[in-house]
Amino acid sequence: MFPIDIRPDKLAQEMFDYNRKLGQGMENLLNADEIDTGVSPKQAVYSEDKLVLYRYDRPEGVETQKIPLLIVYALVNRPYMTDIQENRSTIKGLLATGQDVYLIDWGYPDQADRSLTLDDYINGYIDRCVDHLRETHDVDKINILGICQGGAFSLMYTSMHPDKVQNLVTMVTPVDFKTPDNLLSAWVQNIDVDLAVDTMGNVPGELLNWTFLSLKPFSLTGQKYVNMVDLLDDPDKVKNFLRMEKWIFDSPDQAGETFRQFIKDFYQNNGFIEGGVVLGDQEISLKNVSCPVLNIYALQDHLVPPDASKPLKYLVGSEDYTELAFPGGHIGIYVSGKAQKEVTPAIGKWLNERG
Amino acid sequence: MSNDSFFNDDWLELQRKYWDNWADMSRKAMGLEGETKMTAPWEGALDHWWKAFSPAAPDLSKAFMEKMMDQGKSFFRMAETFANRSDDGSATDGLSYWTKALEDMQKRFSGNLDDGGSAMQRMMSFWEMPLDNWQRMMSSLSPMPGDFLRNMPHEHFKGNLDRALSAPGLGYSREEQSQYQELMRSSMEYQSALQEYTGFYSKLGMKSVERMGSYIQGVIDSGKTIDSARALYDNWVSCCEAVYADQVATPEYAKIHGRLVNAQMALKKRLSVIVDENLGAMNMPTRTEVRTLENRLQETRRENKRMLQSLRALEKQVEALGGKTPAKPATALKSSAPAAKTTTRRKTTAKPAAKPTPSE
Repeated sequence: MFPIDIRPDKLAQEMFDYNRKLGQGMENLLNADEIDTGVSPKQAVYSEDKLVLYRYDRPEGVETQKIPLLIVYALVNRPYMTDIQENRSTIKGLLATGQDVYLIDWGYPDQADRSLTLDDYINGYIDRCVDHLRETHDVDKINILGICQGGAFSLMYTSMHPDKVQNLVTMVTPVDFKTPDNLLSAWVQNIDVDLAVDTMGNVPGELLNWTFLSLKPFSLTGQKYVNMVDLLDDPDKVKNFLRMEKWIFDSPDQAGETFRQFIKDFYQNNGFIEGGVVLGDQEISLKNVSCPVLNIYALQDHLVPPDASKPLKYLVGSEDYTELAFPGGHIGIYVSGKAQKEVTPAIGKWLNERG
Repeated sequence: MSNDSFFNDDWLELQRKYWDNWADMSRKAMGLEGETKMTAPWEGALDHWWKAFSPAAPDLSKAFMEKMMDQGKSFFRMAETFANRSDDGSATDGLSYWTKALEDMQKRFSGNLDDGGSAMQRMMSFWEMPLDNWQRMMSSLSPMPGDFLRNMPHEHFKGNLDRALSAPGLGYSREEQSQYQELMRSSMEYQSALQEYTGFYSKLGMKSVERMGSYIQGVIDSGKTIDSARALYDNWVSCCEAVYADQVATPEYAKIHGRLVNAQMALKKRLSVIVDENLGAMNMPTRTEVRTLENRLQETRRENKRMLQSLRALEKQVEALGGKTPAKPATALKSSAPAAKTTTRRKTTAKPAAKPTPSE
């Protein structure tokens, strides 16, 4: 039997259907208004340089916890991923569990921010946001939820300021940067980071986009658009797709000095494992992280593989360490329907049990 | 939109034409003879329609739509390659046709097949996607087009050019000559790195064809068939992605990738040096000077923030010693550095101006 048996009449029908869907979907695309992102109401409560700290409006009828929760997002991409649409919102899920949710929006660094260092971000911006919350809530310690690179920042912060962190949640956070399945790490080993930063100043978001899309170029820049044709007749699905598309390509530039230090200290020198990372006058040691830790990783994560996250268990000084493995990917852990049912309720429950 | 006459008439007419064309092919495949040679009328129809409609589309939708159209073309090109088997006199039985098709794909990747822009050639452009991504990205970062060096003659000139570039500069403009020599060397290095990168992808293309062959063999062994363009395309993407994932995880690729990025950065740095030289000559601020100022400014801001924190801590201590109620810190949106706080603060010190409560 011939293994590829595509009859011309069937192929013609397939092509006709594809083009018909494109033609019909065109109207939905043309009617797609400006894509809104970040759906939950929030108020700016503090700002400094390009940073804005937001507090999300708490839902009525839900008792709010005394300890506020600060979300520290990565410098890569934009934090509205956590609140991307009405029925896919980590923020909303956390609010529903009674968390008083704050989020740091780092903004878009420009060349004037080129010389910001990791120390400026962690012992400067994050620390001042934490102090603001401690002061306004009249508490000694707050809860922190760090996402991806923001998780690494949160670990560093907690190791230097253990007296200010009540509970720490890390999501898809790299800890061991040199696991064999970490493609990003493999690719960056031969990059002359000093040359790149000295040349460009800030590292352009386009360069990061290219790197991330290069992880699965055929699926991420090709096949997904074919798949989308099947959904074009549904205006809501079109809008959700465009919203995600906007997020993927909404990549702020990276402050050059911070990028240099992060890549060298972590991707090239594996600083959490090997040591030697110094911020200000303090060397980072995860043994200083003594508060309860909830570490959440995604089993199909191609950016931060599970093995990159799991060693946290053996590195922190905390005696209260919990892991949650989510059956999904790096983005699905925020936007999938499953995540709304499993991840955010689990975080809320874990935090509420610890006060 | 849907009421537009072009949409209702011309577009459907074009659809009808290519449908008719394919229907002819079907009849021919079934022995009913239709002598017209098929030359991707669907692709032409789609392009025609898109040219008429794209100016009206919002930018985001336009880019999105173009991607869907490009990918649609990719997977129909692939199906076309295999569905055309009955037109090809060189392989009359079905089983040998796909073997030949795979061999042609391999030849295409190795540069040994010139089929004059056929479906095969167009289908292979699929594998240029990662390279295209690189070119687009570099174009966005450079005043020069991303592919400006891609087709530059390289090997023939390299030896002589290397020698010429090694000649020391002389006289009053020695430094300037040296700068341009460095720029040329960087250009050559980038071109060489890009060619190595491109070559790596060609090898990946061939490996993907092998993987596809194995997959098809598996289909034969299982007694099943692939009977739709979409299934064929999805399997081809899976094969390409699997081979890509294997190969880009190797130390060889990390080296090639690193070389490409480093060469591009070195070239860009050389250009910056020359731009700076010219700005300096025109008595304008250079990037180097601006960066020096940025660094000094950032250091000053750090010191200011540290001093503000210390000052605030001292104020609180003084107030506490005097038995006064500590000043309440502002909690409104701040546009500058926040009021300082001591890091050893206790609850008994500063109180917020507006203390939120859970029921707030």
